[in-house]
Amino acid sequence: MSRGIRRRFIFSTLGFAGVALAVILGAPLVGSTSIDLRRVFDSSIPVSENVDAQIFFVARLPRSLAGALVGATLASAGVIFQGLLRNPLATPFTLGISSGAALGAMLAITFGWSFAIAGITAVPLSSFAGSIGAVAIVYWLSVARQRGLSTSVLLLAGVTLNAFISALILFVQYFADFAETFRTLRWLMGDLDVSSFRPIVVALPLAVVAFAMFAMLPRALNLLSLGPDSAAARGVDIVRAQRTAFFSASLATGAAVSVGGPIGFVGIIVPHLVRLLVGSDHRIVLPASAFFGAAFLVACDTIARTIMAPVELPVGVITAVLGGPFFLWLLVRR
Amino acid sequence: MTMRTRPRLWVSLRFCVFAFTLWSAFSITSASQQPDTHPARIISLIPATTEMLFAIGAAPQVVAVGSFDAHPPEVQSLPRVGALLDPDVERILSLKPDLVIVYGTQLDLRQQLERAGIQQFSYKHGGLAGVTATIRALGARIGRVQEAERVATDIESRLTSIRRRMAGRPRPKTVLVFGRDRMSLQGIFASGGVGFLNDMLQTAGGDNVFADVKRESVQATSELILARSPDVILELRSSIDPDQAAAERAVWDTLAAVPAVRTGRVHMLADPSLMVPGPRVAHATELIAGALHSRSRGEGGGRGDGFNAELAENAKKRFEKPFASSALKSSLRPQPTSASEGR
Amino acid sequence: MLLSASNIVFSYEERSTTLRGVSVTCAPGDFVGILGPNGSGKTTLLRALGGLIRPASGAVRLDDVGLSKLGRAAAARRIAVVPQEIHPAFDYSVIEMVLMGRYPHLGRFALESPRDFEIARAALAATGTLELEDRLFSTLSGGEKQRVVIASALAQIEGQPGSYLLLDEPTASLDLGFQLEVASVVRKLAEERRIGLVLSTHDLNLAAGLCRTLVVLKAGEVIASGPTADVLTPALIRRLYGVESEIAPHPRTGRLVVVPISREAP
Repeated sequence: MSRGIRRRFIFSTLGFAGVALAVILGAPLVGSTSIDLRRVFDSSIPVSENVDAQIFFVARLPRSLAGALVGATLASAGVIFQGLLRNPLATPFTLGISSGAALGAMLAITFGWSFAIAGITAVPLSSFAGSIGAVAIVYWLSVARQRGLSTSVLLLAGVTLNAFISALILFVQYFADFAETFRTLRWLMGDLDVSSFRPIVVALPLAVVAFAMFAMLPRALNLLSLGPDSAAARGVDIVRAQRTAFFSASLATGAAVSVGGPIGFVGIIVPHLVRLLVGSDHRIVLPASAFFGAAFLVACDTIARTIMAPVELPVGVITAVLGGPFFLWLLVRR
Repeated sequence: MTMRTRPRLWVSLRFCVFAFTLWSAFSITSASQQPDTHPARIISLIPATTEMLFAIGAAPQVVAVGSFDAHPPEVQSLPRVGALLDPDVERILSLKPDLVIVYGTQLDLRQQLERAGIQQFSYKHGGLAGVTATIRALGARIGRVQEAERVATDIESRLTSIRRRMAGRPRPKTVLVFGRDRMSLQGIFASGGVGFLNDMLQTAGGDNVFADVKRESVQATSELILARSPDVILELRSSIDPDQAAAERAVWDTLAAVPAVRTGRVHMLADPSLMVPGPRVAHATELIAGALHSRSRGEGGGRGDGFNAELAENAKKRFEKPFASSALKSSLRPQPTSASEGR
Repeated sequence: MLLSASNIVFSYEERSTTLRGVSVTCAPGDFVGILGPNGSGKTTLLRALGGLIRPASGAVRLDDVGLSKLGRAAAARRIAVVPQEIHPAFDYSVIEMVLMGRYPHLGRFALESPRDFEIARAALAATGTLELEDRLFSTLSGGEKQRVVIASALAQIEGQPGSYLLLDEPTASLDLGFQLEVASVVRKLAEERRIGLVLSTHDLNLAAGLCRTLVVLKAGEVIASGPTADVLTPALIRRLYGVESEIAPHPRTGRLVVVPISREAP
């Protein structure tokens, strides 16, 4: 079972990567409309007349890639937060990041902000700013009294901030009319229909930085999950590890939420499913979760946009419908 | 857990879903109680019914309105008593109304009014036919039968005349967008195959590409719009900054394969009357008809011949200068105002 | 090759000082017991020795180099700490738990080599838990868990001359059978491997039976230290707990046994 960590790492990572690749490339072939692949790649037809190509390249491919980016990011951020907080029930949203993002998005929607930077519009920009604000507040609270990050203070501060921001959201909602409220609600349920590669291209550098930081963490997370003293006693620089984990996972979550909205359950059920399959070693769990998260979210989104076509379900509904019962099963099983 | 840490938000948003579902599911207008005498103190919580009251000359009877009511200008001086989600019951009761016009899904409010022994008129959005039916029902309820009849008949005859003018003209396949995230193709909401927006589009001589979706609203993804290949994309706003109109319109250029984009028939139509199924629906329908059949690059259908030139001209003005007051004289009393969406 | 703490002062909060100038020295092969009532600063002293907290004044030195200068990983290769209890947040297998001890020996992206696996298995064998290798840690009994954690600590300091194992109340939560089991494992390590052991406990008989040297703490100060037989006297017990006692070598084992007699009149 535990022999040959190198082989387990390679098999698991390649296996999950293969599944992810298949789903990401397969998803654009499926949809409410049937398209002809030969027409899609037929360069003799002008783009403006090639509906099939536009459906593939404008509607579906960016959407599939956005799903992959958001899914991979949320799932691995979930792994990091669970390790950091030593709490298997933690999610990327536990510390208030999604509330901050929701507040930002809500302000942008309600007050009709229409600025844009680098082609990224007000709603994703404001949601990212909101998540950064929430992260900064939680971090400041958790280091206010001691040198390291106190995970219990982190949790408390996060949960409290969540409640506080939710109240602010209700306050902002008071200024929103019905249509705006409805649009905010839809934003909260997640939407990956980005219709362009731009949001992905802009979020990608953030995700790459975050993943590079993730790569340094798995062994430290293994030890942190034994408790900070045990980790320090085995040579982990816990202050640095916790700080790296907190900021990288927060940054990644903020970026993912700004692209796809706060899609729930990905950040908790994917890590748990992966642990059921490959054990708890973060060196294996982390890459596997990233790939499986991508595959899972893209698959959920494909279901969301096809199951009731032409009407589309919010992808958050699908992840919740699949994730909720699974999660309950996980709780009962223990 | 996500769910655990945002309980209040979720509860309130769930309520919104609930309300919206009901709003979408029903299309009935009903007067709920039999009047003994005609009410002298009326509160209306919904923009559409407020406009109806003023249109049928009930202005002296109206003592308070909902917080989103913006038309006619006289409402600005009236007390505001909340709206669909947040009716201020204490305020309502303290104004001692003898009739409150509520939305059908405001169940709590309705119970409280019932307990307080205050008469209510329950209203729900419906199609265009529902608008005139509601006007007549309201007239009957508050003792202004003749005025209501006059207003309703006027709306009907104007709608009929639009319909007649459009008969025999090509009917462009149209997406009627009433919500979209700023400067992006996300969060697009379009009219489905039922409701007053769909009815206005049909009357104005367009075919709704989402006619098969028997709901008031459809979240239209880019794929859906590409697949339905509309000839016209018509975006309705309460108001829009003229500088932004061009930029917002250009957002659609991404979908180059859509006929409407290819032929330049993407229109931004801004008018405060467009989203209110009240007495200004005929006016709104005329605006839509104007935009649907306005001159366009590269396509023959819906131009010049026999087309009401004044209408097209007015619609064009409206598009270019949405804040200009009443370029188009409505036969109804309300003047188009610059009152904008929300607050 | 000494691990020594000199004049350690430390406080968790500003008002109360936990350690007030404590000095301890341990050499390879030594077996030092830190004795004292609850709240006397035993665990804090152990954490200071392991470099887990930074004293306000005084210093912990390994081979005359300050722990804070040595660096976390370098210190961890020589000094392992076994906490009272470990509750991993996730389910690891026993071998994974032991391999985690190899952390300070591996580069950031390195995976454990076959040599690391050998070391881990040897450590399991030394604590009599090799047959548990593939079990999940959460399914073990208290005594098994404690031995596996000790194995992990052994894997951590394996192959380093002059290494130290710090055990915090290793038997506190165990029943009698497991207490003896863990005690015998620990004694063997000190005797056979020349590992310096520091063990904190409030169990007088455990300390009397195991440790060659005792350091007795009360309210953050050392009130006695030296060879066990010299330190452990009825006078000390009275001073520590206010209890009259008799201390005598056990007729069969020859180890000192403390028998409490009565609570001293106030």
